[in-house]
Amino acid sequence: MAYKASKNPTTDLRERLFIPELLRGLAITTRHFLRNLFNARDTNTQVVDRKGANLVSTVSYPEEKTPYPPGYRGLHRLVPRDDGKPRCVACYMCATICPAQCIYIEAGEYETGDPAGESRVIEKFPTQFVIDELRCIVCGLCVDACPKDAIRMDTGLHVPSEYTRSGFVWDIPKLLQGPPVSHPSDPWNKRPGSAPPQHQHREAHTRIGEGLVPLKLPGGEPHKRTEVTDQAIPVTRFLKE
Amino acid sequence: MKALSVLVAIGFIVGALFGLSALAYAVGGLLEQWNLAWLSNMLILLLGFVMIIATFLTLAERKWSAMMQDRIGPNRATINLPGLRGRPLGGVFHVATDAIKMLTKEDFRPKVADPLLFGLAPILAFAPVLALFAVIPVGPVVNVFGHRVGLQVSNPNFGMLWVFAIASLAVYGTSLAGWASNNKFALLGGVRASSQMISYEVALGLGLIGVMMAFSSVRIPDLIAGQTAMLWGSDGELGALGKVGIPAWGIFLQPVGFIVFFAAAFAETKRAPFDVPEGESEIIGYFVEYSGMKFGLFMISEFAEVVILAAITTALFLGGWTFGFGFDSTLTRYFTSRDLGWLLGAIYATWFWVKVLILCYIQLAIRWTFPRFRYDQIQSLGWKILLPLALANIFITGALILLDPSLRSLAVVGVLEIGFVLALTLKRAEPAGGHDSHDAHGTSDAHGHAPAPLPGAAAASHH
Repeated sequence: MAYKASKNPTTDLRERLFIPELLRGLAITTRHFLRNLFNARDTNTQVVDRKGANLVSTVSYPEEKTPYPPGYRGLHRLVPRDDGKPRCVACYMCATICPAQCIYIEAGEYETGDPAGESRVIEKFPTQFVIDELRCIVCGLCVDACPKDAIRMDTGLHVPSEYTRSGFVWDIPKLLQGPPVSHPSDPWNKRPGSAPPQHQHREAHTRIGEGLVPLKLPGGEPHKRTEVTDQAIPVTRFLKE
Repeated sequence: MKALSVLVAIGFIVGALFGLSALAYAVGGLLEQWNLAWLSNMLILLLGFVMIIATFLTLAERKWSAMMQDRIGPNRATINLPGLRGRPLGGVFHVATDAIKMLTKEDFRPKVADPLLFGLAPILAFAPVLALFAVIPVGPVVNVFGHRVGLQVSNPNFGMLWVFAIASLAVYGTSLAGWASNNKFALLGGVRASSQMISYEVALGLGLIGVMMAFSSVRIPDLIAGQTAMLWGSDGELGALGKVGIPAWGIFLQPVGFIVFFAAAFAETKRAPFDVPEGESEIIGYFVEYSGMKFGLFMISEFAEVVILAAITTALFLGGWTFGFGFDSTLTRYFTSRDLGWLLGAIYATWFWVKVLILCYIQLAIRWTFPRFRYDQIQSLGWKILLPLALANIFITGALILLDPSLRSLAVVGVLEIGFVLALTLKRAEPAGGHDSHDAHGTSDAHGHAPAPLPGAAAASHH
């Protein structure tokens, strides 16, 4: 005898009669329909935290944006110093480690007596610093490699769209953005003869646990930092009751 | 806030139905002096009601399905006018964009297709659907401007037989579309369509025999008039409510007939769960070669069928335009005595269309709730379940009508059937594990319980 595909496992009279089960199915769809019809959609971008009777969990993307998690690798920026120049010292670390080879640097040297040289504390600077954002694979290795905290991916932005490929090649005027950063360990704070050391962070880090200043995010809301605890997080927290 | 705007929108829809019904009665009253009320009825009922509702059902299909599935649905089309800028209004403008897209798309015809039949098929699919509506009365016959006007294109004495005859013509459009496309997949779709529609034709007709027997007529206005009678009612009038009671609606008399007819007619509309002929997404259907407005005709005829199926069901099983449980006698007396026949007719016609819209919702909900039947399931449902059910229903109905011409015993049986199904529906499900449905190795018997002592023994018993 051939194998019968339609082995009917139902023994219940209700399931055999078919119609009661159909009505129950219809009741489910109608309940969803009425709840979604008569209740306004909660537009909270944190879908898990949504309340209300409306069950739609869609985030209408261009109008509503979910906040990115802390540590999100967004568009690069060249971090400025207090005087507005890039912190970059053209060491080629980032260009060397970049697996996509999308960073191109040309180094320059301050002339002796150049006031921009900050009394010879900084000798080298990039005359060209170019990132081809189309080639970038957003791995973040350049940020890790940088010894001077001069390149970061903390903007929380995407690469804006362009009509030409050359538009995606970002150079210093476009890359140099965001609040300036200074560290107590910065050479101009340590060398004899330089300005008195400022043993204070002038701008927050974006590394997890150091968020002194809220990170700017597209959603507008300051993002909550991840709390690291020993307790296991119950999975049901993420399921909506 | 949302609830309020939804209520306003519902009110607007009901108001529009009322206005259009009143207009239909007024124009019919004016034209009736030349015996031309059928003309205005044809134009207003078919173009004004059926086509517009069908058009908006294309939107409703998408929007309502979105709501049932917890999505947002179409909301991107807006009109750049002051006051409307940036307001999708529930996506109504998508109707216009759809129409523009259909009309301006390339009307592609395969080189190998039969040119005459290829163009004829959408017309043959579309025309019978509209012709079906000719015999369906939307509103009562009332006095308007001194003439007797009803919202019905034509009232032939063969009534329902026209519906059966024309409904079976629609299969020509689909099978011709499959044949004329000269495409193997389209041909298979057309064959599936014709075999499905022919199978369900029988159940469709037999499902309605009971109603016709109960009211001993095939004219739909007579069937509606029969449903206004009370099975059990108050002896006299109860104040403003009028005569109160349980009306002899077809659904109380013929619940089995209702199920059989609704399922069969659903299969005739070729919509899910009976959408094997089309199967747009997975199995290719009969209109695979069609594009542009020719495809649009198939599409719109499907939605027009939804409206017309809802209208037939309303007329035969839900008492047509009558309120049924009360108010009818008071309303009729109030408006007739003040010579406001058109107002009475418009109220009744609005109520008819509201019932139709609710049934349209139910059909769309069915389409978005149930998965598609397999092809052999469709055939076995049609021939092995619906057909015997309809035949048994006819014999039982006939016997009960012979026993009790007042239809009360028929109604008792019908209400008991409804109550039985409802009780089963509302009964709490058995807790999971209460009975072991089947074990993982498939060694249990066809019904799943009674685990076999040994897997080998059970397998042997199958041979």
